Amino acid sequence: MTRRQTIVTYLVVVPFAIFLAFPFFFALITMFKTNLDLANVEHVPYTYNDLAGNLHWDFWNYATFEHVRFLFEETNYPTWLLNTVIVGGAVVVITLLLAMPAGYALARLAGGWGQGAGVGIFLVYLVPPTLLFLPLSRLVSQLGLKDSLWALILVYPSFTVPFATWLLMGFFKTIPQELEEAALMDGASRLKALRLIVLPVSLPGILTVVIFAFSLCVNEFIYAFTFISSSEQRTISAGIPNDLIRGDVFFWQSLMAATLIPAIPLALLYNAFLDRFIKGFTGGAFR
Amino acid sequence: MADAADEVARAGSALTRSDLLRKGTTAAFAVSMFGGLTDRALGVYGPLKFAKKELSGELRIMTWAHFVPDYDKWLDGTYAKQWGEANDVEVKIDHINNALLYSTGAAEVAAQSGHDLFWFISPPATFQKQAIPVTDLVQEVSKKVGRMTRVARKSTYNPATKQFYGFPESYAPDPVQYRRSQLQQAGVSLRTWDDLRQGAAKLKAIGHPVGLGMSNEIDSNMLLTSLLYCYGGYIQNEDNRIVIGQGANRKGAIQALQVMKEIYSSGMSDEVFAWTAASNNQAFLAGRLSVALNAISIVRSAEDSGNQALSDDTWLASIPRGPVQRLGNEHVMGVYLIWKFAKNKEAAQKYVVDQMLAYEDHFVRSKFYNFPPWTNSIKGGFKTIREVATKDPHKPKGKYSILTTIAEKYTTNPGHPGNTTPVMDEIYNTFLIPQMFAEVAQGKSSPADAVGRFASKAQSIYRKWHNQKLV
Repeated sequence: MTRRQTIVTYLVVVPFAIFLAFPFFFALITMFKTNLDLANVEHVPYTYNDLAGNLHWDFWNYATFEHVRFLFEETNYPTWLLNTVIVGGAVVVITLLLAMPAGYALARLAGGWGQGAGVGIFLVYLVPPTLLFLPLSRLVSQLGLKDSLWALILVYPSFTVPFATWLLMGFFKTIPQELEEAALMDGASRLKALRLIVLPVSLPGILTVVIFAFSLCVNEFIYAFTFISSSEQRTISAGIPNDLIRGDVFFWQSLMAATLIPAIPLALLYNAFLDRFIKGFTGGAFR
Repeated sequence: MADAADEVARAGSALTRSDLLRKGTTAAFAVSMFGGLTDRALGVYGPLKFAKKELSGELRIMTWAHFVPDYDKWLDGTYAKQWGEANDVEVKIDHINNALLYSTGAAEVAAQSGHDLFWFISPPATFQKQAIPVTDLVQEVSKKVGRMTRVARKSTYNPATKQFYGFPESYAPDPVQYRRSQLQQAGVSLRTWDDLRQGAAKLKAIGHPVGLGMSNEIDSNMLLTSLLYCYGGYIQNEDNRIVIGQGANRKGAIQALQVMKEIYSSGMSDEVFAWTAASNNQAFLAGRLSVALNAISIVRSAEDSGNQALSDDTWLASIPRGPVQRLGNEHVMGVYLIWKFAKNKEAAQKYVVDQMLAYEDHFVRSKFYNFPPWTNSIKGGFKTIREVATKDPHKPKGKYSILTTIAEKYTTNPGHPGNTTPVMDEIYNTFLIPQMFAEVAQGKSSPADAVGRFASKAQSIYRKWHNQKLV
C-alpha cells in the first residue's frame, strides 16, 4: 500500500472508529460521574466537572466509584453475569449439536428440496418473540420451568438453531464435496468424514455460530423478562433495566457501568475472530 | 425388644455391635454436619423452619421496583420476612419495572401460573375475570379501621358485579412540582390552568419550559384526564356510561384540549410527544423544566442528588383549578390482584389485610409516596399524616404537607365520577387520551373532531365490556 493509500484509508477509517467507539467512551466517563455533575446540563458531559462547571480530567478528585460499588454490592449484577454465561454457554452447545447435523444434511443429503427447507427453517427465526412469548409462557409453566434458567436454555435454541442451521448449510456448501468423497473412498464412514474433513474446514462457520448464538442470548430481553421473575435468576438483559430503573428514576451511572462491562469482552471476542466471522457469514453467499 | 443393631448382627453380618455403633456414630456425625448441604445440592431442601414453627407454604408476590430502593429493601428484608415468620409462610417478593407490569401480568394469565399476589400501578380492571373478588377482605379492613377512601373504592369496586375485584394497597397524590425562583422570575402563577396557559410562554422565554407529557405512558394518561376533569370534560358519568361526546362534557373536553394546545405551542417543546414516564423527572432534575406534574419522585430525587439548590427551589402545589373545579387523578393507584390460579390464596388474603392494618411504616419508609387507601390505617388519619409530612426536614420546611391536602380534597380515580371500569383501563392501556391531546397540539385535528373520534372509540370499547357484563 502506498503512503497516499494509507492516508486515505486512515481518513476514512478513523472517523468511523471514533463514531463507533463513542458510546463506549461516553459510558466509561458517565459511570464514574457524581450525581451533581451528571444532572447539570451546563456541564460538559465528556469529562468531569466541578460544581462551578470547570472541566477536569483529574479522575481521582472529580469522579466516584460509588455507582459501580452500588452495582456490584447492592444489586445482583455479578449473579446476572454468571447466569448469562451459563445460559449462553448451554445454548451454544445445544445449538451446535442440533444445527451442525441439520445444516450438513440440508447441504449434502437433502437434494433439491434442501435449499427450500433451509429457507423455511430460516423463516422460523423471523417470527418475533413478542408473538411467541405468550404461548411459550404456558409451555414453560406446564414444564415447571418458570423462574429457572432452564426455561431460557430450552427456549433460546428456538431462535438460535434456525439461524445457525441456515448459516451452516450455506457454509457446508462451500466445502468441495470431493474432499468427503475422497475420504469415503478411503474407507471413512460419513460420520468420520464429517468429523475429520468437514468440521475442521468449517471452523469459521462454527465460530460464527458460537459468537452469534451467544450474542443473541446476551441481548434477548422478552423471554428473559417474562419467564424469570426473581432478580437472582435473571440474566443481564432483563436484570439491568429492571433493577436499575426504579419507578421513574434511572440509575444512570450504574446503568452505564452495567452495560459497558459485558460489552467489552464481547467486543474483544468479535475483534479477535473478525476475519473468521466475516468468512463464516459470507461463506455460503455465492452458492 | 430387639433394636435395629441386634437385627443386623443376628442376620450374620460381618458387622459387630461395636463396629455398628462406631460407624453409626460417624455416619450420624457426618449427616448432622453435612447432611443439609446434600439436601440443598439435591434440591430436596424441605420446608424452611423458623424457630419452633413449620412453614405452611410459600407466598409469591410481584410488585414494582419502588423509586425508593430502601423501601424495597425494608419491604423484602424486614417487613415481609417478619410477617412470614409470624404466619409460617415463606414470602418471596419479586420487583419489576412498572412499565412492564401489564405485559408480565398478561403472560402469567396466559400461562395460568405465576405469583399469588400481583401488584398493578393503576387499577387493572381488565384483568378482573382472572382474579378472585376481595370484597370480604375490604369489609374486614373497613370494620377495623373505618371507611375506605373514595379514590380507592372507586378504583377497585365494580358495581356491575357488586364486588371489589382488587385490593387497594396504596395511592400517590399527583402534585405540581415547580421551580419557585423561575416562576417568580417570570411572574407566573399556578393558581389556575388559565394562569399556566398565559405564563407558559414567559417560562419558555427564560429557558425553562413547562413539562406536561402527551405520549403513550401512564403519567400522560393521569395528567391529561385530570385536565379534562378540571374543565368538566368527563369521559364517563356516574353510571359508567361514556358521555364525553355529549353536551357539557364535550364542551369541557374541547376547552381542555384547546388549553393544552396553547400551553404546548407557547411553553413546551415537541419532546413531550415521545416522553416516557421518567422523562419529566430527568428534564426537571437536569434543571430544564420549570413545571411538571408528577408524584414526589422528582423532588425526592432532587434531594438525593445532593443538588441542594435544586432541592430547595423545588416546591409542591395542588393541580391548577379549571373553570369547573380543581381535581386530579391519583398518580399511582397500587392494586393487588389475587389470581384465581394463585397457589396460596389464604396467605395472600392475610398478607394484604395485615399490611393495611399497620400502614404507617409503609407511608414513612416510602418517603410519603405510598398513601393508605384506608386513611385510618395510620392512627389519627389525615391529621397524623399531615403532622408526619410536615416534619420532613427538607427545605422549604413543611413543603410535603400539601400532599395531605391534595390527597384529601383533590384526588380522584381514573373514570371519575364513575368507577375505574375495564373500559377506562383499556382506554388507558391503549393510550387514547394522550393520542387525542397530541393530535390537537400538533395541529393534526381540531379539538371537536378529536373528541368525536375519541368518543366513538370509547363507545366501542364500552360495548365490548358491556357484552361481557363487566360494566
